[in-house]
Amino acid sequence: MTYQFDNICVLIVEDNQPMLDLLKSILNTFGIDNVVCARNGEEGFKAYCQHKPDLIITDWMMRPVDGISLTRRVRNDPMSPDQFTPVILMTGFSERRRVTQARDSGVTEFLVKPFNARDLYRRITQIVEKPRQFVRSEDFFGPDRRRKKKDDYAGPHRRMDDVEKGLTSQVFLDDTQQDYAT
Amino acid sequence: MSSTHYNQELKRRAKFIKPPNKLKQKVGSGGLSEEILQKAQELLEHNTVEFEPLANIYLKNLSYGIESAKSYSTIDDVDHTLSFMIYPAMQLKANGGMFHYPLITGVADRLVQFLEVIEEPDVAALEIILAFHTTMRAIIQGKIKGSGGHHGEELISALDKACTRYFDKITPPVIEFEDI
Repeated sequence: MTYQFDNICVLIVEDNQPMLDLLKSILNTFGIDNVVCARNGEEGFKAYCQHKPDLIITDWMMRPVDGISLTRRVRNDPMSPDQFTPVILMTGFSERRRVTQARDSGVTEFLVKPFNARDLYRRITQIVEKPRQFVRSEDFFGPDRRRKKKDDYAGPHRRMDDVEKGLTSQVFLDDTQQDYAT
Repeated sequence: MSSTHYNQELKRRAKFIKPPNKLKQKVGSGGLSEEILQKAQELLEHNTVEFEPLANIYLKNLSYGIESAKSYSTIDDVDHTLSFMIYPAMQLKANGGMFHYPLITGVADRLVQFLEVIEEPDVAALEIILAFHTTMRAIIQGKIKGSGGHHGEELISALDKACTRYFDKITPPVIEFEDI
């Protein structure tokens, strides 16, 4: 028994044509034949509304609309067909602040370029087998940013369920002192 | 509980939602076979994309970013100025390795790391960035595919040392009490 990828639709948003072609070929090899393509975040959102894909794989840096803005629209735009659609963000950035920036926009998985076929497969498997719960707060909607539970988490406990668990022993800290697991 | 947060309401009331796993419902179980993954990897490794024209566009953009940064003054937005160099550098890093130029990825990665931490594009920093540009242009013009072996390692090491020297010069030495 293997994954039946022929049942799903994937949207690729990438402004680099050779990269887009290569990614599409890899997905085809995985058995994903229903692949929709767009060249930037603006086109991507239109394609997303039209085709309602099961998964979005988007590059970060694109003009006029980048992958981060696209993700925010998927999560928050009233026109969005499904705010929970998983988004894999591809980028050359691997620095922590960039990962944080992507995570805060509502990205589900982060895929650092250059990547190999197995890296891409792992991200897809992660989404299929270990989906993140979503969080809606006053200033964020997206996949839970604390995926890994850290027993030694030393940051502030600010959520309502933290209150219920009696974990609010620490005062609010400045945002820069947060230590979320990534 | 209220004393824990002084007299303030909790700022972030988070609601947790477990959406239905539509993807899992559609694809089922079992993953992909090793054979398929191997086939996909071979396809990636044997792609025939000509990276040089793409790399030249990014190098040209980087060159433009360096030129623009020469007129930087403290009243300018430093992040905006640096972005014209960071983005092409990031593209070179991201795409080099995808299209048979891992040495470009290695060099561009060091450049991105450098650009991410410099305070401003001063003359010394721009000289280093220019050295990165020259190195990558030489790699592309020489069509040096692969890692470049020992020579590639030496190139990256030399650029790394230049960056380290830059930070050694601009970072004030730590004065120990014994020195006073």
